[in-house]
Amino acid sequence: MDIIPQLVVNSIIAGAIYSMVALGFNLIYGTTKFFNLAHGTVAAIGGYTVFYLSKSLDFPVLPSVIVGVLFAGCIGYLVDKSVFRALRKKKASGMVFLVASLGVMTALQALVAILFSSQFQTLSVGSAKVYQVFGGVITQVQAIILLCVLLIMAGLTLLLRFTRFGKAVRATSDEEEVAKIVGINTNKIIGRVFFLGSAIAGLSGILVGFDTGIEPAMGLSLLLKGVIASIIGGIGNVYGGVLGAFLLGFIENFGIWKISGEWKDAIAFGVLLIFLLFRPQGLIKK
Amino acid sequence: MPTLETKSISKRFDSIKAVDNVSLSFEAGKITGLIGPNGSGKSTLINLLTGFVPYDAGMLVLGETTRLSRVRPYDIATYDITRTFQDVRLFEQMSVLDNVLVVLTERNVWSALFEKHKTYHLEKAKEVLERVGLWEKRNQLAVNLSYGQRKLLEIARAVAMDANIYFFDEPFAGLFPEMRKVVTSVLKELRNKGNTVILVEHNMDIIRELSDYCVVMDSGSLLAQGKPEVVLSRKDVIEAYLGE
Repeated sequence: MDIIPQLVVNSIIAGAIYSMVALGFNLIYGTTKFFNLAHGTVAAIGGYTVFYLSKSLDFPVLPSVIVGVLFAGCIGYLVDKSVFRALRKKKASGMVFLVASLGVMTALQALVAILFSSQFQTLSVGSAKVYQVFGGVITQVQAIILLCVLLIMAGLTLLLRFTRFGKAVRATSDEEEVAKIVGINTNKIIGRVFFLGSAIAGLSGILVGFDTGIEPAMGLSLLLKGVIASIIGGIGNVYGGVLGAFLLGFIENFGIWKISGEWKDAIAFGVLLIFLLFRPQGLIKK
Repeated sequence: MPTLETKSISKRFDSIKAVDNVSLSFEAGKITGLIGPNGSGKSTLINLLTGFVPYDAGMLVLGETTRLSRVRPYDIATYDITRTFQDVRLFEQMSVLDNVLVVLTERNVWSALFEKHKTYHLEKAKEVLERVGLWEKRNQLAVNLSYGQRKLLEIARAVAMDANIYFFDEPFAGLFPEMRKVVTSVLKELRNKGNTVILVEHNMDIIRELSDYCVVMDSGSLLAQGKPEVVLSRKDVIEAYLGE
């Protein structure tokens, strides 16, 4: 029975990582109503920025992380400005947005592979500090991931509920056309949401890089788990995504308690199918 | 003096002329009733003048100097124009109070992120919500309001914008008599403040009571315009309505 505390810890850590991806993904989806497949690749770009700065230029870790987060945010902002804004202007369908984001994802991923090769890299420096928690083991990076998720969630709650920017985001999310006529520059708001969501994605890519490692294609698997978490929790609902992420983390980790770890993805997608069939609106409806 | 003029505005949807070469002027301090049978082009005209649908030809003139060959939805607030919709459109997942506060939001990044709503924003929101009797409901989500309350909230949101030109698309439809009284007094108040009010309405009694000027559209074209008592007694206008 000793394994249960560790399974709980692993589930929480997995949930925290999926939460970070789901938070940014849901923030963007909630405002723009399309599946941004490039979201995961922006996470990878965050990781590779830190890799470049800290390993090639010998930058200290913390400034590298800050630059990495901001750079990922800027990439998200620029992608919106150069691609998605033009599509919004043309009132393109959801399918066009989806395919365009697939194109952006593939192009960015290829660019990362050209610059840094497809090899698996790690960001970690030295041996990881390890803590004992309720009979389970958690590394320092994993503890930071947990802390970051809590801080980002609290920050997003404050931002969306209590600031005027948050009201404009919610208004744009509810009724973009009406938001325009009441004087909200929805393109600017969506641009800022892309920056924010992509910066969160960047941070998740960086932290995953420190926890396990980075590779150009890491974005897709991160994105898929984030999307599953979002759908389980309630697509477009920032808090639902977090709930879905932790639920997914627990189901995945406890699902492989007695069987091979290779079943993890099969279990995750099985859960997705069950939700799509029986509760497509997710746990919390927006 | 006209605050808003259309010069030969036209719009086609495939082979249908939805609005055909319409030249009109709307004056400040007056309520202009815009009437016509279903499908006559009233709502399309409003959509053209508020940027929801681009016009194919013509021009919009604001005041004496601003001539626009194109209007975009996010421009109209800067031109002090606002509108309501035939089918109410609110920010459904926001509270009643936030639906009004959001139009009072300042736009620069710093103040949007870090400054709270100032007292005068809250006072303004309270004033307009009390005006339509929704202050008590301020913390409810807009989606949970009744149909009539939703209409009133949309009107309150428009009033909060302190615009010069107001388009109201059937604001009385589906309202209880008490609510109608509120809307009537809001419209009169806007007129008395010197604003330009354009009212799309099917109820001729309301048009007679409220409008200072009346424009009749039929099949996308201008059929008649003038004082309501004169226009509404014209044979061709009556025929256009009875012919529905």
